[in-house]
Amino acid sequence: MTGFRQAQSPDAQSPGTEAHGNHTATLSMQQALNRALDEVLAENPKAVILGEDCGRLGGVFRITDGLQSKHGENRVFDTPLAESGILGMSVGLAMAGFHPIPEVQFDGFAYPAINQIVCQIARMNYRSRGKLPMPITLRVPSFGGIRAPEHHGESLEALFAHVPGLKVVSPSNPHEAYHLLKYAATRPDPVIFMEPKSRYWQKGDVDFSTADAPGTGSPTGAKVMREGRHLTLVAWGAMVSRCLQVAELAAEDGIDVEVLDLRWLKPIDADALVTSVRKTRRAVVVHEAPLTSGLGAEVAQLITHGCFDTLKAPVERVTGFDVPYPSGDLEDEYIPNIDRILFGIQRVLEYRRG
Amino acid sequence: MAEISFPLPDLGEGLIEATVLEWLVSPGEQVERNQPLVEVETTKSAVELPSPQAGKVVRIYGGPGDKINVGEPLIVFEVPDNTAGIVGTVPKEEAPKRRVRLSAVLDED
Repeated sequence: MTGFRQAQSPDAQSPGTEAHGNHTATLSMQQALNRALDEVLAENPKAVILGEDCGRLGGVFRITDGLQSKHGENRVFDTPLAESGILGMSVGLAMAGFHPIPEVQFDGFAYPAINQIVCQIARMNYRSRGKLPMPITLRVPSFGGIRAPEHHGESLEALFAHVPGLKVVSPSNPHEAYHLLKYAATRPDPVIFMEPKSRYWQKGDVDFSTADAPGTGSPTGAKVMREGRHLTLVAWGAMVSRCLQVAELAAEDGIDVEVLDLRWLKPIDADALVTSVRKTRRAVVVHEAPLTSGLGAEVAQLITHGCFDTLKAPVERVTGFDVPYPSGDLEDEYIPNIDRILFGIQRVLEYRRG
Repeated sequence: MAEISFPLPDLGEGLIEATVLEWLVSPGEQVERNQPLVEVETTKSAVELPSPQAGKVVRIYGGPGDKINVGEPLIVFEVPDNTAGIVGTVPKEEAPKRRVRLSAVLDED
């Protein structure tokens, strides 16, 4: 896989999945994440969870619900309201051999900890010539869609993805959430885990026994969520389910849309992008973040570079706008909606050379 | 369904415990927000605690005469999963609506 340092084989999956047998359950993403964290704590005695309200309350979204009473106050604990402290403490814990799983309560609260994330977490392994790895899994409830106040609906993936040393991943449904979090929390490297908070409550089937459809490998790289012939929609996080809805509507008009869930936003699975778009020859990338210097530009370049000869049209981007994230009442105007995505598809379909 | 635990809050400036006088709700009962849950006595006064939220009572801690420390569980509610978050609102799952129709001449070369 392009750019993937030490891509893990499925065999490298954490132990313990066997213990659950061939189980499938219908869970919300909140429940799937809670179960993944519970198992990580049980399997790795060095794993600790810390953050604002993570302990006694169980998190404002109940992701860590019940974990403190089950695993104890030394494993799951509340921190003061200071993100720089949460991430600074995580650096120290990692240096001391722990695997911290800190939570920044909302996307917009990551800013006070940017120094710790960029200057310490991302670099300590390099700075120490590998003597001080930073196995830190930073959970960030991310993206918009829940009518929350300022700093509660932002999309920081481009900011994180731009920092060498960080990996960035975002699940799109409960099955992905369970497996990607379990995978991320066993990496030796720092991973920013961006949870689409608007999808926390939607239920889906989780197959605990396999990370992916049989034979498709480990939870690294992108994943085709719907196959199609005419155009590829690339999305991640909460936008994946919206793109799947768009694909159903496009089918009514005779357009067969493929939906690619990028999943890993750093490193990006360029091979999967190129494989999909070589087939469909058209692509639209959708994200909630603002347009300029958003991850859509990176995706468009990777597609263009790998599919220049076969592309029928320039890659279109359907994104949020270049404004600060708006208040709840204006959210529906900001986040790409079904019609804006359909318009993007139509622009690509209409394009003619010359 | 999800369970939410409500610990005994600090009922005054720096009080560390309270004594249960009488429970006004019992397990299995559906309560509304602000409905009185329990009467407790502190070193300052006897007060009725209003419910911080609506939900079904799953468990109550302590009987009349029992002391409960501030921060220890007082009552556990069961609430639907989609009201378990604290910040923001749960998005409604609705059938997708559209105004835009696609039209294309696809040359399958």
